Amino acid sequence: MSLATRTVSRLLLAPALMIAAAVLVKGYADTGDGFNAGVIAALAILLQYVVFGAEEAERLLPVRRAGLCAVAGLALSLVVAFTPLLRGDALFTHVPGPGKDVVKVGTLELITAVAFDIGVFLLVFGAIVGALRLIALHDRTAELERPPAGGLR
Amino acid sequence: MGPALVPRRSALHSERIPAYLALGLAVAGFVAVLVIHESGGGTIDAPWAPTLDLRLTFTLDGLGALYSLLATGVGAAVFAYSSRYLPLHHGHVPRTRPVMDSWRFHGLLALFMVSMVGLATAQDLILLFVFWDLTAIASYFLVGYDRHERESRVAALMAILVTGISAVCLLIGALMLYAEYGTFSLPELFEAGAQGSTTVTVACALIAIAGLAKSAQVPMHFWLPRAMAAPTPVSAYLHSAAMVAAGVFLLARAYPLIQTSGLLLDLLLAIGLTTIAVGGIISLTRDNLKQVLAYSTISQYGYVVTLLGLGGPKGALAASFYVIAHAIAKAALFLTAGAVTEATGSKTLSGTGGLARAMPVLAVASGLAAAALAALPLTIGFFKDELFFAAAVERGTLATVAAVLAAGITFGYVGRFWTGIFLGPRRAEPATIPALLVAPVVLLAAVAVVGGVVVGPFERLAESAGLATFGEPTPGKAAYHLDLRAENLMALGAYAVGALILVSEARWRAFALWVARVGERVGPARMYEVGLARLDALSDAVHFIEVRDLRTRVASVLLPAGLLVLAGILATPSDGLFEVGTIGEDDIALALMLIVSAGAAIAATIPRDHLMLVLVVGAVGFSLAVVYALFGGPDVALVAVLVETVFALLFLSIFALLPRAVLRREANLPTSRLRVRRNAITGVLSGLFAFVVAWAALSRPTPEESVSVELYDRTEDAHAKDSVTAILADFRGLDTIIEITVVGVAFLGIATLLRKGRMT
Repeated sequence: MSLATRTVSRLLLAPALMIAAAVLVKGYADTGDGFNAGVIAALAILLQYVVFGAEEAERLLPVRRAGLCAVAGLALSLVVAFTPLLRGDALFTHVPGPGKDVVKVGTLELITAVAFDIGVFLLVFGAIVGALRLIALHDRTAELERPPAGGLR
Repeated sequence: MGPALVPRRSALHSERIPAYLALGLAVAGFVAVLVIHESGGGTIDAPWAPTLDLRLTFTLDGLGALYSLLATGVGAAVFAYSSRYLPLHHGHVPRTRPVMDSWRFHGLLALFMVSMVGLATAQDLILLFVFWDLTAIASYFLVGYDRHERESRVAALMAILVTGISAVCLLIGALMLYAEYGTFSLPELFEAGAQGSTTVTVACALIAIAGLAKSAQVPMHFWLPRAMAAPTPVSAYLHSAAMVAAGVFLLARAYPLIQTSGLLLDLLLAIGLTTIAVGGIISLTRDNLKQVLAYSTISQYGYVVTLLGLGGPKGALAASFYVIAHAIAKAALFLTAGAVTEATGSKTLSGTGGLARAMPVLAVASGLAAAALAALPLTIGFFKDELFFAAAVERGTLATVAAVLAAGITFGYVGRFWTGIFLGPRRAEPATIPALLVAPVVLLAAVAVVGGVVVGPFERLAESAGLATFGEPTPGKAAYHLDLRAENLMALGAYAVGALILVSEARWRAFALWVARVGERVGPARMYEVGLARLDALSDAVHFIEVRDLRTRVASVLLPAGLLVLAGILATPSDGLFEVGTIGEDDIALALMLIVSAGAAIAATIPRDHLMLVLVVGAVGFSLAVVYALFGGPDVALVAVLVETVFALLFLSIFALLPRAVLRREANLPTSRLRVRRNAITGVLSGLFAFVVAWAALSRPTPEESVSVELYDRTEDAHAKDSVTAILADFRGLDTIIEITVVGVAFLGIATLLRKGRMT
């Protein structure tokens, strides 16, 4: 990859993650939600993989725990969804309920639905990055394991 | 099978602990049931799922007490036996983790026992069904305990298929009764359905099917002899006192409703008598010890079904008493078979014999149990036949004759079993066996003898079970009468028939073998095998069509879905469905984008190169994203763009994993004409279906009061301004949960495949 692509993709990382965060936080007020935010953030990371190669990207970014991130996200979503059962409410009874006041931090509204959305975000982000990361690593180990036969690459 | 390997002492002890725990549970349960029953019974009633009218209702009535006492009492004897038997069994069939397996084994036995008590006391049909299935599940794992042996696995599958499929009949019957009377509660149903009706008859017939299958009645009897592949304690427990007993228990439990239909009672009578005959005759031909007992069990539960079919207070009382006497005696005989096999290494009548002098205690104890089964005086079994004969006499001559013959056959095979093992020439030298393999037999035999002398308590238990079965008191007056009353004469006749059978084996053997062979050739077992093989083949065929490659997979979803939708459209009124609107100036951009995506879709059929294919398919997705944006769905458009990008990346990275030569070769493979034509037909047809559906949907004016309108209105209640997010995270959250779970599972699958099980 040329120096220009390397520089540009490097520069794009932070803003892309920023946008992902914004899409996640503003999800309840505007277009976007955890799923979208997760995909955007994952794409930002994957761009680094494409441009710098798996090894260097692994070194530059803390992505080794992507799988854990996915599992944690799924767990968070499930907890938010099923906790109301313990109180005898229906699934997905969010707190605060309709008509109650909501604590706001800027655009971010503190309701359990947002926590659920964050779980979705973590899952989507972790699953995409984790899967593609594994594919990239697999490629490398495959090369190490058996020497390329004629006609390969 | 050689002499048992003796495991190390410590391992041996830890293998026994689970058996002792199960034994403790059984004894505690027995005492608890006895105390509660003696103090007048009791009821637990708690709401379970109120919206579905389900309650957790348990009542310890007579019937419940009888079967609970059997399950815990015989259970205690069997668990004590099993504490010594299972380590020996593990010596023959080596296990990698014997202690773990012992926990599993006794855990399942204990689960079975608890389920039986739950079943016996449940007063709610759905609750009953749950425990019914729990016993089936436990029995599956117990029968298939030696899972490395094919015979065990086949037997386990057969047992759960026959009893599990018929269990669905029980559920259907329960739902039918609910639909008619609006309750699952048995006492309420007994009251409401006391007059009988067609619904009650059909529902009871279905419930009876479940009961008959579980109690191994002809023609659903074949699973029980196969289930003898299980270790002996399982056979002794499940197939004499618990699982098979559950079948007749269900009949007794539903009896107040069943007896409203004379037809059902006659059917029960016919099935019961047939089962007595078939089980008895085949039992006379078997050489394998446990097989003799298995067919005898079939035959003897045929008695109970016959008694229920005879009906009346006498039938209900006799059926209850018969179950008690049979369970005690039969469990003892099963345990005897296991002890004899452990001592001699032989599993057959022809391999044993003459053991009376070498194993005197076992010989006497099992002799008493056999005497109880053969209904000799001074054992509890005498009264089971006295009550049986009394009920038969009331019915008429035919039933009387049948009863004597049936009792005669029983005498015959029980006698053949005992004399075959303990009398005659000795064919194998018995090794010493642990005392705990004999003690339970002695205990059960002692109970059988005590019951023959002091019959009162047993009769009272049977009476109170009879009350629950019949709905009215069923007084018994079991006693020895030294006179020429019909019951006594019939008993003498039965002994004579039995003795005749014993001494004339050469005469009837050919006939009995012929019956058994015909049964194997054309009987229900053969139908089961053929049916299972056919179903398997059908499943393979469907599987092959569906998942052979990506094309057939897509086609197998699109075509049936399209046909279903087409049927739906044809079946609904088509007024105003296919309107042709006008294209205004605002729509030009939209129309252009639609043309672009349609063009991309058509172009996607052309390229053979994988990379190009991915890019073209991506183009379809991106142009559709623009269409969504123009249609006013920014959320959907954003998702579409993102998903398309990720897809393209995934495809590209996977192609990078594959050698290029392979990709190139695949891309240049010639496609058969047939396949091209088939693809074209699938594509065009599914496209047409989609077109018709989209057209129909868009022709409808937007409904005023649709769900979507309501969701828009409620968005504010969810503290959201964007209704799509509110739908995803709140209104339709359950859908989202399922979807993200799928994503998580798919990710785990990818990770497992790529790591090939390695942890990195």
